[in-house]
Amino acid sequence: MRILVARPQIPFAWGGTEVMTDRLVDELRVRGHDAELVTVPFKWYPGTRVLTQAFLWRMLDLEEVDGTPVDMVVATKFPSYLVRHPEKRVWLVHQFRQAYELDGTDLGQFGDSSEDRALRRKVHALDRVALGEATRLFAISQNVADRLERTTELRAEFLPPPPQELEYRCEGYGDFVLSVNRLDRAKRIDLLLEAAALDSSLEIVIAGDGPDRRRLEELARARGLDGRARFAGRVSDAELADLYGRCLAVYYAPKDEDYGMVPFEAFLSEKPVLTTTDAGGPLEIVFDHRTGLVVAPDAAELAHAAGWLREHREEAATFGRAGKAIADEVTWERAIERLLA
Amino acid sequence: MKLAYFSPMPPEKTGVADYSALLVPALRERLDVTVVRRGSKRSPRGTDAALYHVGNNPDAHAWIVDALRRRPGVVVLHDFVVHHLVAGMTIGRRDGHGYLDTMEREHGVVGRLLAHGVLDKRIPPLWESRPEEFPLAWFVLEHAAGLIVHSHAVHELVRRAGYERPVWVVPHPAWPVPEVEPRRVASGPVVGCFGVVNASKRVPELLRAFAEIRAGHPEAVLLLVGPTSPGFDLERRLQRLGLDDEGLVREGWVDEGRLWELMAGVDISVNLRHPTMGETSGVAIRSLSLGKPLVVSDVGWFSELPGDAALKVPVDAYEVETLTAALELLVAREDVRAQMGTAAAGVARRQHDLGRVAELYVAALEEAVGGALVGDAVLREVSQAAVDVGISPEDAEAGEIARRLAEVELGR
Repeated sequence: MRILVARPQIPFAWGGTEVMTDRLVDELRVRGHDAELVTVPFKWYPGTRVLTQAFLWRMLDLEEVDGTPVDMVVATKFPSYLVRHPEKRVWLVHQFRQAYELDGTDLGQFGDSSEDRALRRKVHALDRVALGEATRLFAISQNVADRLERTTELRAEFLPPPPQELEYRCEGYGDFVLSVNRLDRAKRIDLLLEAAALDSSLEIVIAGDGPDRRRLEELARARGLDGRARFAGRVSDAELADLYGRCLAVYYAPKDEDYGMVPFEAFLSEKPVLTTTDAGGPLEIVFDHRTGLVVAPDAAELAHAAGWLREHREEAATFGRAGKAIADEVTWERAIERLLA
Repeated sequence: MKLAYFSPMPPEKTGVADYSALLVPALRERLDVTVVRRGSKRSPRGTDAALYHVGNNPDAHAWIVDALRRRPGVVVLHDFVVHHLVAGMTIGRRDGHGYLDTMEREHGVVGRLLAHGVLDKRIPPLWESRPEEFPLAWFVLEHAAGLIVHSHAVHELVRRAGYERPVWVVPHPAWPVPEVEPRRVASGPVVGCFGVVNASKRVPELLRAFAEIRAGHPEAVLLLVGPTSPGFDLERRLQRLGLDDEGLVREGWVDEGRLWELMAGVDISVNLRHPTMGETSGVAIRSLSLGKPLVVSDVGWFSELPGDAALKVPVDAYEVETLTAALELLVAREDVRAQMGTAAAGVARRQHDLGRVAELYVAALEEAVGGALVGDAVLREVSQAAVDVGISPEDAEAGEIARRLAEVELGR
C-alpha cells in the first residue's frame, strides 16, 4: 500500500511523536509498503493562529500524488488529522491539550476573554469534525482515548506504540535515578530536584533538553545539588541505553501524561519506574510495588520512594523484570497489523 | 461570563420551570448567572449574554419573547410548534392584525385566510386543532442569535425552516433520582403511563393494546397516572375494552414525590406521542434515570432514543399491533426488561448527565458570544493570505478555500 504518515512539525523541537512516526514509516517500509512522512510546520499562537495554521492541513490534497493514488493516510496529533482522505486513519498522540485539560492551568493558552473562550471551542469543533471523519481511530494510551471520549464523545481503540530501538540492557542497579524527558514544565522535573534536595544521598541524572532547562539548572543550584544532579542534555542513543542500563530506577511523572515511551524503555532495561498518582498514561503500566513505585506528587514521598528502592535492590530488579514482560508484548508487528486492518 | 437567564421558575408549574430549577445551579458552578425577574424586559446591566427559554405556553413565555425582541440572544427552543404562544401574544393582546400578519408571513395567503377564519370564529382555533401544520416558529427564530434545541429532530426542523444561525443540540438533563420507596400497585408486571390522558398521548391505542395483553397475561396491570383531558371519555373506553373492573389502576394528578414513587414501582414505562410539537419528555427522562424499559412512539426526539433502551412504535396503520407486540415482549420476558433497564440507566448517565448538559450550555454560550469574532479573524487571515498570492474572491480557488473552511466549521 502507499501510505502517508502525517505529523505536524515544530521546527527545532524533537520528541516522542517524532521518534514514533519516523519509526512507523521505517516499519511500514520493512513490511513492503511504500510509506512516506508528511509534515507541515505548526505555530499555535497568538490568537486565531492555532486555527489558521491548523487549516493548512485541510487544504492539502493527499488523495493522490503525481498521478498515483495514495491508499491511506495515518495522522497522529493535532492538527495533522485535519487532513482529508477517504481512508484516513488516526493514531492519536494527543489533541491540542491547551484547549482541553490544560485550560485554566499555568500551561493553558486561552484567557477569559470572550474571543479566547470561543477560540477554544472552535478547536473542539475542529476535533469533532476531523477526528469524526477517521475510518478508524486509535489512541496511543487509554488515557488519551478516555480524554477524547470525554471531550468529543468519539471512541478510540487503545493501540500503544512500541518504544524506540536502543541497545537495551541491564547492567545492575546503580545509585542514581534517571530522568529522560523533554525539559518543559509539564514534565515536572522540578519535583525530582526537590526530592533530591530533601535526601542528600539521592543522585539524579537528567537526560533531555528543552525550554525549562535554565530554570531547572537554577533550581538545582539554589537547592545545593551541585554534583548530585547532572544535566546530561540531549544524549545519543548509545549514551541513553547506557544510562538506562546503569541506573537504579527511572523517574517519569508528568502531570496527566498522554502515554510516554519512557516507562517502556525503562522496562526494556529491566528498571522500575518511579511515578506519581496523577501521572495519567504511565499508570496504565506502572503498578505500585509490581513494576515500580507510585507515590503522591510530593517531593518528600518521592525522596522516600527512591531511598526505598536503593535499600531494596532485589525488589527493584523484580519490578523491572515484571515491567519487561509487559514491554515485550508491545511490538511493531502487532501495532501495524491493527493499524492497517 | 455574566449571563442573563430568562425562564419561568418555580413556583410556576411548568415543565420549563422544573427544567430551569434543575439547570441553573449547575450553570452557576460555571457562569455568573442572573435569573431575570418575571415580567422584566431588559437584561441586567453588564451581562455578556442573554439566554431565553421559549416554549408554547403564552402565560409562561410571552414576557420572555418580549424581552428577546428587545435584545436578541440565544434561545432555548423547548417546542418547535409555538402557535399557541403566538396566539397568546397577538390575539390574546387584542392584536388580530399581528396574528394575520404572522400567519401570512409563514404560510402565505392561505395562512392569512385561515387566520381570518379563526378570528371570525368560523373554524376552530388552529393552535388546538392543527398546530403541527402551522408551527409559526419564525415568530421566535427571527430574533434568535443562536438556538439551543434538545433533539436532532428539532435541529433538522429549524434548518428546514430556513434558520441559518448556529444551532446546538443539548440533551435534556436528567433529574437525580430521589430516595423513594417504589410504590407497586400490583404483584404482576405493571405497565405505567404518566402524563395527561388524551388522544395525542395515544391512550386509545395503548388501551386497545393492553386489553390484548391482558387476554394472555391476566396478571398484568396498567397504571395510568395524570389528569384526563377535557372531552376525553376514558371511562367509556375502559368499559368497552373490559378494563373497568380490573387490570387498570388509575391516579389523577400527583405531586412530584408521588410521581417518582409510582414511576419507580412500574416494570415498563410507556410514553407515546403523536403529533409531536418537537418537545422532549421529562417523564421519559425520569424513566431512563430509574432504569425502566421504555416503549415510545417512533417520532421526533423519541426516535433518537437508543434501541436497546426503548422500543419504538411507528405511528401508522399497524400502531396497535406493533405496540401489542412490544408490550407482549416486555411483559413476558423479565430478562429483556432487565437488559433494557440497564441500558436505559446508562443512557441517562451518559447522555443526560446534568454536569455534561451544563458544559454543553457553556460551550454553546461561549461560541455564541465570541464565535463571530473568531470567525472574522480566521477569515481575515485566510483571505489576506489568499489575496497575497493573487487569489481573488471570484477565483475557483477561493471557492475551494471557502468549502474547506465550512467543512471544519471555520466558515461563517
